[in-house]
Amino acid sequence: MSMREIKLCLLGDSGVGKSSLVQRFVSDTFNTHSQPTIGASFMSKTLVVDDQSYKFQIWDTAGQEKYRGLAPMYYRGAAAAIIVYDITRESSFSAVKMWVRELEQYGPGDVVLAIAGNKADLVDQREVTYDEAHKYADQINATFVETSAKTAVNVTQLFTAITRKLPAEIIVSTHNTVRPTRAPQKSEKSKCCRS
Amino acid sequence: MASVAERQPPLQSTRSFENDENSPTILPWDRFSNWLHCVCVVTFDLELGQAMELVYPSHVKLSEKEKMNICYLSFPDSNSGCMGDTLFNYRIRQHTTTFNRKAATLSTRNAYERRGPVTLQGENAYYHGFVYFRQVRDKSSRRGYFQKSVVLITKLPYINLFTHLIDIIAPEYFDNGEPCLEAACHDIDQWSPPFPGATLHLPIMGVVLQVRIPSKHDKPAQSQVIKPILSPGSAPPIVIPSVNEVEVFKCFQPVLPHIQLLWELILTNEPIVVMAPSPTFCSDTVQALVFMMSPLKYTSDYRPYFTIHDSEFKEYTTKTQAPPPVILGVTNPFFAKTLQHWPHIIRIGEMGPVDKSSWKKKKSSNIKTLESKPGVYTRYKPFLNKDKTVLKRLQKGIQNKRPVEVQDAMLKRHFLELTQSFMIPLERYVASLMPLQRNISPWKQPPRLKPFLPEEFIKTLEHSGPQLTSGLTGDWIGLYRRFFKSSNFEAWLRSRQQEVNQKLSILHLDALCDADLMQWIKDKQEVEIVDLILRLRDKLATVCAPDLPTRQERINQLKIHMDHIISSLPDDLQSILKSN
Repeated sequence: MSMREIKLCLLGDSGVGKSSLVQRFVSDTFNTHSQPTIGASFMSKTLVVDDQSYKFQIWDTAGQEKYRGLAPMYYRGAAAAIIVYDITRESSFSAVKMWVRELEQYGPGDVVLAIAGNKADLVDQREVTYDEAHKYADQINATFVETSAKTAVNVTQLFTAITRKLPAEIIVSTHNTVRPTRAPQKSEKSKCCRS
Repeated sequence: MASVAERQPPLQSTRSFENDENSPTILPWDRFSNWLHCVCVVTFDLELGQAMELVYPSHVKLSEKEKMNICYLSFPDSNSGCMGDTLFNYRIRQHTTTFNRKAATLSTRNAYERRGPVTLQGENAYYHGFVYFRQVRDKSSRRGYFQKSVVLITKLPYINLFTHLIDIIAPEYFDNGEPCLEAACHDIDQWSPPFPGATLHLPIMGVVLQVRIPSKHDKPAQSQVIKPILSPGSAPPIVIPSVNEVEVFKCFQPVLPHIQLLWELILTNEPIVVMAPSPTFCSDTVQALVFMMSPLKYTSDYRPYFTIHDSEFKEYTTKTQAPPPVILGVTNPFFAKTLQHWPHIIRIGEMGPVDKSSWKKKKSSNIKTLESKPGVYTRYKPFLNKDKTVLKRLQKGIQNKRPVEVQDAMLKRHFLELTQSFMIPLERYVASLMPLQRNISPWKQPPRLKPFLPEEFIKTLEHSGPQLTSGLTGDWIGLYRRFFKSSNFEAWLRSRQQEVNQKLSILHLDALCDADLMQWIKDKQEVEIVDLILRLRDKLATVCAPDLPTRQERINQLKIHMDHIISSLPDDLQSILKSN
């Protein structure tokens, strides 16, 4: 089976649960008392979707303001980005829009965008409605799900949905002696499957 | 990289490292310190001159002397010409008295030293510094310039890897400041240990580097020449073809006809100065010199970049003693005078089109002024004749614009064959000094390697000398005699002796474990039995030493033997032996 290596980065405000989402996806665990990330954490995980393997190189960036300037290193060359907000914090959703603008301006042109409204288990404290977020995501052609790292809702689905939006590309062999250079994909964007 | 997989260490040994991930004994910064000692930022302070702005992680201890050396060496010595960004490296003595804190790191190191090639062992007395220096016009500064260096300090001689690494980290630091170093160090603190033979993926600041850590068991010629591939959008790791190999051809091109001579000088630990116009050429050339006799280890001191501020300046430049057997790389014109009494001086001009006049050997007394032309200044007469075929092929390559990588591989191959031709007779002779397996008896001390007798060795050359593998003619015997006086030889012989004696000690342990000790003690006096027990105890103490790859089951077996023997003795003796 062939393998695609996907660089993916997570962006979003401090405390929205980026690291917890990654931890749930990679090791299917949850830690209530996770520490703030320093700079960024790196994890990798292989996912098989429709007989195709995807090896995600996940750069989980720090949400704290002092690391703000480092973000370009992590979204540079990324095939996909997940922007995370906390459904119980309106301000974290405003930050999503800011990240989208930054990616549109400075990010890789063909980046697959996904928006995740995390902490979906805390419905009673909700500040951001599903419809509002969904409408916004549709406008910018981004995948949208509400997730809960705590209860594992929609986490794997989020990554699976991203693989389906990736442009078709030259298959990269798992045997890594020779690697075909990836062809420019702008023209292939129209071939995207369902979102 | 399919061949790599085959040469990986047995699964069991790699697994012990992977388990580190979950091991509670791994503290923050433990993994970091497998790779780096620290990262420093050195700045130019109007009042203090070069000053240490930052050491990261902040708990890392550097002595005052180390800090001073790092500060001075991290700026080009005479930097007027170094506008923009300059990468180079240096090597400094450790001047620390602080106690090396971690047992976890130590055990990793031991396993590493046992399996890694000798040329790549971590250093306990030196640090390597990898510098990224930036100098740009800055009107807001009173000096009119922004001048700052980011430096990686490490014990590992992975020249290539760390040069790449600093090239990734430093520019980001200049853009984003301290959080960027924090992020980089945090990334490095997630890296798996540099286990010999392992292929590793090392995440750093949004990219993943792929490296393979060389192992003792690698065939030297098989360094993989893989071109790094940077493809936009997708993210295969950036392949660093070799952690340590430097571009020897690029460095030696200005002095190409003298490579044979240089190889002899390096082999025999002659004092050498490299004078170059920039710290980059300077450190690259010194590293290339040190590399040229691998897989044999260059054992005396070398300083890819040495300045008048170095704490060893007086020691190394004194005229009251003969020059020390070291290699110094310098850029400051001042050294042309200070070191003019040195026997071998290599002057490198600007890299680029080569002025053929530098290909002539020059008498060292001619070098007085800074304007001296590039070339090799020495009175040394090589023992071996030049390998004209190789030189012609390389020169033809230059004319035909053969790719530098190919030239580089050709030159490396030449040095490797030369070193191997020189070493094979020595290896063969040492193998003949090995005692026979049948001389290993459980009842006697383990036999030891017989002494190395130079004259006996020279006698073997007639039938099995380097002429078997090398077409080079000349006074090989003279070269061997000179080599015997060098510290390279001493260190090589010592490591061979150690290896063989360890092996013998382990074979002796096997013999003891397999012997029927209970049968043997049947007709023995008590005193002989007690003597045997004491010898077994000694044996256990030696084979349990941390640097020995002894199998635990063998040790347990011997302990059981010992318990049996003790229990066969009268009660009073038993209690004495047990209480001891």
